[in-house]
Amino acid sequence: MPKRKLDPLPSAAFQILLALTDGDHHGYSIMRRVEEQTSGHMRLGPGTLYSSIQAMLEEELIEEVTRRGDSEPGHERRRYYRLTAIGRKRARSEAEKLADVLRVARARKILRGDYV
Amino acid sequence: MSEKVYALLFRLYPAQFREAYGDEAMQLFHERARDEQGMWAKLRFWMDLAVDLATSLPRTHRRSAPMLAGVSPQSIGVAPQFHVLQPEAPRLRAIACGGMLSVVAFGAILIWFGYSRNYRELHTVQGPTKHDLLALSRSGRHSNARTESEMPGTAAASDESEIEDSRRPAKVVLSSWRSGSEPRGFQSTPALPGASQSPAVPQTVQPKVQGATSAMTEAFSDHDVVMLGEAHADKQEYEWLNELVMNRDFDQRVDDIVVEFGNSLYQKSVDRYIAGEDVPIEQVGKAWRNMIGAVGPPSPVYGEFYAAVRAANMKRRGKHQMRIVLGDPYGDWEKIKDAEDLGPYLAHRDEWYAQVVKDEVLAKHRRALLIMGSGHFLRRNGPGLVESTIRAAGANPYLIVMGTNAVGGYDNLDQRFDSWPIPAIVALAGNWVGELPAMPVVTGGMAPATPLKLSAAADALLYVGPRDSLIEVRMPRAELDGTPYGNEIARRLAIQMGHPVSFLSDQTEVPQFPRPQTQPQTNGGPRPALPPMPKSIHDPLPPRPPSQ
Repeated sequence: MPKRKLDPLPSAAFQILLALTDGDHHGYSIMRRVEEQTSGHMRLGPGTLYSSIQAMLEEELIEEVTRRGDSEPGHERRRYYRLTAIGRKRARSEAEKLADVLRVARARKILRGDYV
Repeated sequence: MSEKVYALLFRLYPAQFREAYGDEAMQLFHERARDEQGMWAKLRFWMDLAVDLATSLPRTHRRSAPMLAGVSPQSIGVAPQFHVLQPEAPRLRAIACGGMLSVVAFGAILIWFGYSRNYRELHTVQGPTKHDLLALSRSGRHSNARTESEMPGTAAASDESEIEDSRRPAKVVLSSWRSGSEPRGFQSTPALPGASQSPAVPQTVQPKVQGATSAMTEAFSDHDVVMLGEAHADKQEYEWLNELVMNRDFDQRVDDIVVEFGNSLYQKSVDRYIAGEDVPIEQVGKAWRNMIGAVGPPSPVYGEFYAAVRAANMKRRGKHQMRIVLGDPYGDWEKIKDAEDLGPYLAHRDEWYAQVVKDEVLAKHRRALLIMGSGHFLRRNGPGLVESTIRAAGANPYLIVMGTNAVGGYDNLDQRFDSWPIPAIVALAGNWVGELPAMPVVTGGMAPATPLKLSAAADALLYVGPRDSLIEVRMPRAELDGTPYGNEIARRLAIQMGHPVSFLSDQTEVPQFPRPQTQPQTNGGPRPALPPMPKSIHDPLPPRPPSQ
């Protein structure tokens, strides 16, 4: 069986999935949202962003959508992306894995302060 | 300046990735550069880009590795290839060879600089002016002088009439869209002495035979425009095209399908119909029932193709949508009363088609499949008018023509085709298929061989089956005999031909390439004289009315 490109899910792909949970966004908007949700730790460059998007499209975690007006003849199209049901499930699964890790870390008392 | 630098760096990514995301990546770069001002922000921005390149380049090349096996020798010759064929991560030993990698990278940059001279900018597509078009059309070497028009439909009858054209010393040929029971005598244009012909390739060099759908989608990896020279009304060809438009890979790579079989006057209705809106079929059907270039009854395959594209779009609602762009001149049959009214439209079919591609495809940076009769697209003494015009406008087209296993006279069928999958597309450069004479192959053996080789006439051959298996689909007699539309077709044919013409057929499916008759069929009477050429063929196209 061929290896899936996004197994395990890279952190950039996970962040992109999270960025798309509340609506459709184009590339630049996704990049900014990832930057916000990681407190500036992750700023996706064009190569990482679009190679991740390409892989996620292929695995149907996200889909490309045409926004109102974009399909009109003559309108220069800007690609928007939307989370699919598969993508949402994958994001939830990944978040649960991280939550498990966090529970272990808290049990081992290696975290300071009140984390999630 | 910084954008130019990044555009150069972006060329290190695989071609497929650049094609798919080049515009978006440059836009993202532009927006970040705009928003991140100040020395520290800019420094951080460029450091981000350096890290991004270092991490994403190997990944994108690794992902594109399976496609390298399918890259044609032609493209390998002009583009740098990154042979990253191992799916696993780089080994430590490779990392230890950092110095060596630096040398390789330096060499790659040198190669890339050489390659970049032939690389078209992602964003800039400049079209020639109207003067360029006029110059092309008046040069006399282009196929606009060979104006095709639908002819009497009696058993798909064909005729040719030669008329004087004051623009050139030779004769203009009005030949049929399709041919049939009358002798077609397809008037091929012999290659001129000195016309570019590739050196002979040994017959033992085998072609790369690909499934037609995968070959077509692959062609869009390297080309923004793919031209398909079709055999009109062919059942097998359109069965494949209808499957092609449903293919997800094709849909994602193609924005527009520019068709000859659609009157531009009805673009608005077609846009709504293709987008899935409820448009009365009587309204949208005018696009293919009121064609200028094909005056006779249109084959049902065309209406079915429109329906297939609409179905494909509706199936993928909310995702990328394809558009059908109409390339037939915008003549309104309700206003065409005589041959003088029709003349300007018939005389400028190729120019109008090329203009539509420039305006609706190239100027909007879209990617398109162009479908037109192979006679319009075939490179006889170099590219035809459509190809020349769009190349001048910055396009890099790939030309596929439909052909059969008839490689000489009508009975000269080549058995080597029998092992090919159906439908298939075969690249023509450097193999025995490209060495075949073009004219018999593209006319089902109806036209005699000339020095023109297939490899000089096109880039690839579409093969949808042996010649004798191919079927032409015709409009049923019941839709024409005594109906208002049938009466209107009779009127149009009489305008074009100068006399009433029989066009009804009792069969809806007939051989695409029937055996040529030794004597012209005249239904017992003398052949009617051809009408004089309308003076209006020298007139420019009338102003375009609003789209309906």
